[in-house]
Amino acid sequence: MASLTSSTETPDLSRAVIGVIVNNALVLALVAVLAVFSVATPTFLTLANLQSILVNNFTLLAIVAIAMTFAVSVGGIDLSVGTAIDFASFAFVSLVLAGQPVAFAALAGLGAGAAVGAFNAVLISGIGISPFLATLGTLFIGRSIQQLLTSGGNPVYLPPSGVPEAFRFLGRGTIAGIPVPLIIAALIIVGATLILTRARFGRVALAIGIQPSVVRYSGIAVRAHVAVAFILAGLIAAVAGLILSATVTVYIPSSGNAFLLNAIGATFIGTTHSRLGRPNVPGTVLGVLLLSIVANGLLLTGLNFYWQQVGTGLLIFAVLALSFINRRKATA
Amino acid sequence: MSVDIQLAPVIRFDPGEAAFGSARGGNLAATALRAGSLIAFAVILVVFSLTAPYFLSLGNIGNVLGQSAISGVLAIGLTIVLIAGGSNVVTGGIDLSLAANMGLSAAVYATAVQLGYGDATAVVAALVTGGLIGVVNAVAVVGAGIVPLLATLAVMNIVAGLELVLTQNTVIPAATPLLTAVSSSGPFGIPVLAYVLLAFALIAAAIVQYTPTGLRLYAVGEFPDAARAAGLAVRRLVAGAFIASGLCGGFAGILSVSNLSGSTTGSGEMLLPVVVTALLGSVFSRRLVPTVIGTLLSTLFVGFLVNGFQLLNISSVLVSGVQGLLILLVVSATTLLRK
Repeated sequence: MASLTSSTETPDLSRAVIGVIVNNALVLALVAVLAVFSVATPTFLTLANLQSILVNNFTLLAIVAIAMTFAVSVGGIDLSVGTAIDFASFAFVSLVLAGQPVAFAALAGLGAGAAVGAFNAVLISGIGISPFLATLGTLFIGRSIQQLLTSGGNPVYLPPSGVPEAFRFLGRGTIAGIPVPLIIAALIIVGATLILTRARFGRVALAIGIQPSVVRYSGIAVRAHVAVAFILAGLIAAVAGLILSATVTVYIPSSGNAFLLNAIGATFIGTTHSRLGRPNVPGTVLGVLLLSIVANGLLLTGLNFYWQQVGTGLLIFAVLALSFINRRKATA
Repeated sequence: MSVDIQLAPVIRFDPGEAAFGSARGGNLAATALRAGSLIAFAVILVVFSLTAPYFLSLGNIGNVLGQSAISGVLAIGLTIVLIAGGSNVVTGGIDLSLAANMGLSAAVYATAVQLGYGDATAVVAALVTGGLIGVVNAVAVVGAGIVPLLATLAVMNIVAGLELVLTQNTVIPAATPLLTAVSSSGPFGIPVLAYVLLAFALIAAAIVQYTPTGLRLYAVGEFPDAARAAGLAVRRLVAGAFIASGLCGGFAGILSVSNLSGSTTGSGEMLLPVVVTALLGSVFSRRLVPTVIGTLLSTLFVGFLVNGFQLLNISSVLVSGVQGLLILLVVSATTLLRK
């Protein structure tokens, strides 16, 4: 859609084709990756494998990346999403281990994640520290707190006999054949899309990310909106923490950080999906899909495990390069 | 004067408010903060030396310097990028590939030794590896125009993957005359690594703080438009900063091979501590901007802290928490003092 505007100026067909490619780099990369893996490995394009991609690769990263998208939408970044995941997971597993009802433990877990977000909000909106540094500080402090709570970093296991049914259901249950984590992820994706595109809060948040001074002069409380965005980021990341611990029935200190760089990658790859380079939920989801499919596909090709990381990196690099070169042309 | 109004550009976040505070208030705050952080450094040294008698011995100071060498070299590399990249950490200067760069360079060195090459070849190979990674970053940031945070994130993934491919995720031992010499003790029983760090920091400081090129780096980072209008080769300077940072990664790789008698996995763990160290470094400079000496001081600050904790048998668990608190305290003080 957006590609048409740039191609009208250049009647030259080849340039128009290049324009279409560059403007839809993300979608085309997804299609290309799907096509390549479908041809390269017979098992890729099977229902079982596609489902496995969604359950094993996509779900958790998608939720964390949505959390990141909220922080990025107000012009910030959240390096402590892993901390929110870990705190939620710790509260959830510990309370279930202590015999508390699963629902109560889950609420406490969400609260723990939101508390991490609120701590960031105080630092960023209250004191005025840059989000990068504030959340970096939170990440470091959170790491120490977790090691103190677990006497040096010991995992908290739930004994197989002591796993309540509701706990197991959250991680491995299905509703009408659809895995529960996937349903939760879908709800979060839809909810986040609505908040960022339809709700007043989302439009203000995106405006803050583009031009905060204009929003301030319009009489809108910028700091309050930034604070809410970071609390939302902590809360959403906490959901990923609950699902993670329910799936593996264990809390491992500082394990949430594993999602950080991929979540940043997916969110910013997602910004290339928008003509103006803004964070957007569909783009983020496409970014997560791309990363998930590549991870799964490279595994299936039987390529040396270590080359997979190189391949993923090269692909991200190519998508970013294409869209940034394009954006530079658009603004030049 | 133009520099003063950009006080602590790296650490402030003030959406929508005018970025130009009163210059006089800024200077006062800067002085207070700088004095405060130096006093804090001194207090920590005094407390540790009173409670742990061995702390202020020459041998221990040498040890701290030696143990800080690798992270110090990396943090100085990152500082150069911070200077040239400017205020905003997301869109400005950051090099997330540094730790992975060190890992790959170390792996290249160890592999070269395993293949029977001598020290000279291995040193060149490691530095070329680091330099090439810097070139890729430079092309991505300056050529393709990718935001540094993302460009170096992608490069980090590629480099970390290449290290795994090269080492198959195993330890590659390496022992050569050079490596043994670097990891041994020098004059006064102080590790050679300590001298390496000091010499490296002094050379880097001389280039960055006292040459026209260094001054131009600051100009490019703080006021890119003005720098461009003044006829500076902005793109070339930014590219140069990334290549210099890459070379630092290669150099740190050599030090790491020597220190660990080989290449090991897990270099990525270094990344965030190095980022914190480099960002904290601006607190130890007069105008709260990133400087090489400031970063050296901040590296030693963290090094002494870790060492003191060890001597006092305080759990090392607290180290990352203290680092996190420090950065938040320092940054909060800066921003609150400005109000």
